[in-house]
Amino acid sequence: MKKSQQLAVDTRPWRDTANNKPFVRIKNVTKKFGDVLAVHDVSLDIYRSELFCLLGGSGSGKSTLLRMLAGFEQPTSGTIEIDGQDMTEVPPYNRPVNMMFQSYALFPHMSVEQNIAYGLKRDNLGKGEISDRVAELLSLVKLQDYGRRKPHQLSGGQRQRVALARALAKRPKLLLLDEPLGALDKKLREETQFELVKIQESLGVTFIVVTHDQEEAMTLATRIGVMNLGEIAMVGEPTDIYEFPNSRFVAGFIGSANMVEGKVTEDEPGHVRIRSSELGCDIYVGHGVDCAPEQILWWAIRPEKMVLSREKPLTPHDANVTSGIVEEIAYLGDISLYQVALESGKRLRVSQTNSVRGNPDAITWDEKVYITWSDSSGSVLTV
Amino acid sequence: MTTARDPTIPPPRRLKPWNAVERGLAKVGISGRMLVLAAPVLWLLVFFLIPLAVVFGISLSTKQFGRPPYSPLLTTEEGTVQLTLHLNNYIRLFTDNLYIAAYLSSIRIAFISTVITLFVGYPMAYAIARAPDRWRNILLMLVILPFFTSFLLRVYALTGFMRGNGVINQFLGLFGLEPLVMMQTDFAVYVGIVYTYLPFMILPLYTTLVKLDVSLFEASADLGARPLRTFLSVTLPLSLPGIIAGSMLVFIPAIGEYVIPSLLGGPETLMIGRVLWDEFFTAANWPRAAAVAVAMLLAVVIPIMLLQRAQSAVVER
Repeated sequence: MKKSQQLAVDTRPWRDTANNKPFVRIKNVTKKFGDVLAVHDVSLDIYRSELFCLLGGSGSGKSTLLRMLAGFEQPTSGTIEIDGQDMTEVPPYNRPVNMMFQSYALFPHMSVEQNIAYGLKRDNLGKGEISDRVAELLSLVKLQDYGRRKPHQLSGGQRQRVALARALAKRPKLLLLDEPLGALDKKLREETQFELVKIQESLGVTFIVVTHDQEEAMTLATRIGVMNLGEIAMVGEPTDIYEFPNSRFVAGFIGSANMVEGKVTEDEPGHVRIRSSELGCDIYVGHGVDCAPEQILWWAIRPEKMVLSREKPLTPHDANVTSGIVEEIAYLGDISLYQVALESGKRLRVSQTNSVRGNPDAITWDEKVYITWSDSSGSVLTV
Repeated sequence: MTTARDPTIPPPRRLKPWNAVERGLAKVGISGRMLVLAAPVLWLLVFFLIPLAVVFGISLSTKQFGRPPYSPLLTTEEGTVQLTLHLNNYIRLFTDNLYIAAYLSSIRIAFISTVITLFVGYPMAYAIARAPDRWRNILLMLVILPFFTSFLLRVYALTGFMRGNGVINQFLGLFGLEPLVMMQTDFAVYVGIVYTYLPFMILPLYTTLVKLDVSLFEASADLGARPLRTFLSVTLPLSLPGIIAGSMLVFIPAIGEYVIPSLLGGPETLMIGRVLWDEFFTAANWPRAAAVAVAMLLAVVIPIMLLQRAQSAVVER
């Protein structure tokens, strides 16, 4: 069988906004609960067949945004369009949208089959058609033999799959998932993540997932919207969010990052030089940055983007190398995390891959080490 | 007379007083748990089961003049003990139309009152359960508030509303409407029972409804159910335990109700409580009254037990 070639433009419509119409348009949506601003002027375009993750801490407004998409909350201002239709005022029971609840919200007095059939009955489908669809969905989530059970006779993972099947039963254009894996234990969560992506890809339904778990977001999402204090802090593909954060919040929220303050000393179109007393050296950034000389800004670098050595390495431009004393080592098997105290008192976290088995010559506690990085490893952050 | 202490015997261990009591009781085979259970068991025995047995005993005797006004069950005569059980009180219950009519009428009035109470109480319980947190306790307090006044007083107050020149008729008179006859009718009895027993319906319904997860209603709406469909398919079946509990709490006392029909009802309002009263105080026929009471108890208890079995089956599912 010949494998069909996948074209990048097909799978990433958001990269070509001129030729692709967004499927879900959230325009300037604001939601207030009394005086509390839960969602503040959020605009977001989501494309067909995307698996979009809304990522944020508790109280970031991500769940409120999801509930407005489902129709459980009305925006205080702004509009929500789904598939070209204004849905802002449409009640939940008339929306082509289904939701999988964090608590699963399975009807406890109904069997698994009745739960899945509930939405289909509301569409007045024939009995035969309903039972066919229910059987189809049960096999999709691999619960063929559990149709007659009640929800309380199922394990957490099985309940999660029933909730998914029930939400997919009406073949919604858009499926909203509120912390879909939150109640599962770690191992089950990892398995289910891939299953969820597989189902999403095979059905082609647009998924919007709310999660506070960044690992989950990274694994699942085509794109991630990071939310903070009711606003969208950044929207991008997982690699963008991790490698090119647009703000100190995003850099700190996703993964771990070392962040230092610095002052711009050279501002050229091709490079920028930043002096950081915290770091005890100059930072040479190999690309232009929108900033002004003397401007105070921040520079963030991931632990794995730095290299440790005992001898001072040669670096061009007389920058991008500093030294410190190893304070702590956390051995994690595949990598080791070093905490190095710089002269300024600033501590950097550097991770090194343990590529040599049982390395007797590994850098150890209280050693003086040099830390270096390349001129494109860090992110310059102005906000 | 003192004896020298034997050094091989260890000095007696000091026991806390409670330990000693516990050991003493344990010797007789009584544990602390039994003591805790003993209190309610004793209470029920002395104030419920023994009186019930006495009533049952009286129901099997026959009326006689004197004190007590019924014949003894056991008679001793020249060394023989004779047990005389009169069943004619019970036989009369089934042969005399008055009793059958009174039972049926009581059940009918209690049933209709329960249904009305359910229809009035359900929306109230639902509204309280869905009210904002800070309102909920205030509203619940308002439901219980009538209990702070004497029950008798409240029923009397209703007559002030419903009598010929009462509040309601005076109000109607303002619009030139004819006064309504409400007192001494079944209508007044229904009003009295529904008013009095409404809190007993609202409270169990409230406790069931407040526990229901809001996301269940949202899930139902999300799957395309309009509010009425959500109510019928989700809210109603899940509040069934509350409906059953509330209905029993209204139905059982309403069957034996005496005060409300005698104060508000007319002469044709036939209820078993009144028959019992007449039998006991007017006719001074204690055995007959006792038989009426025992029959009423059975008539209520047997359906309730069946209902409760059905309910626990529902809960298990």
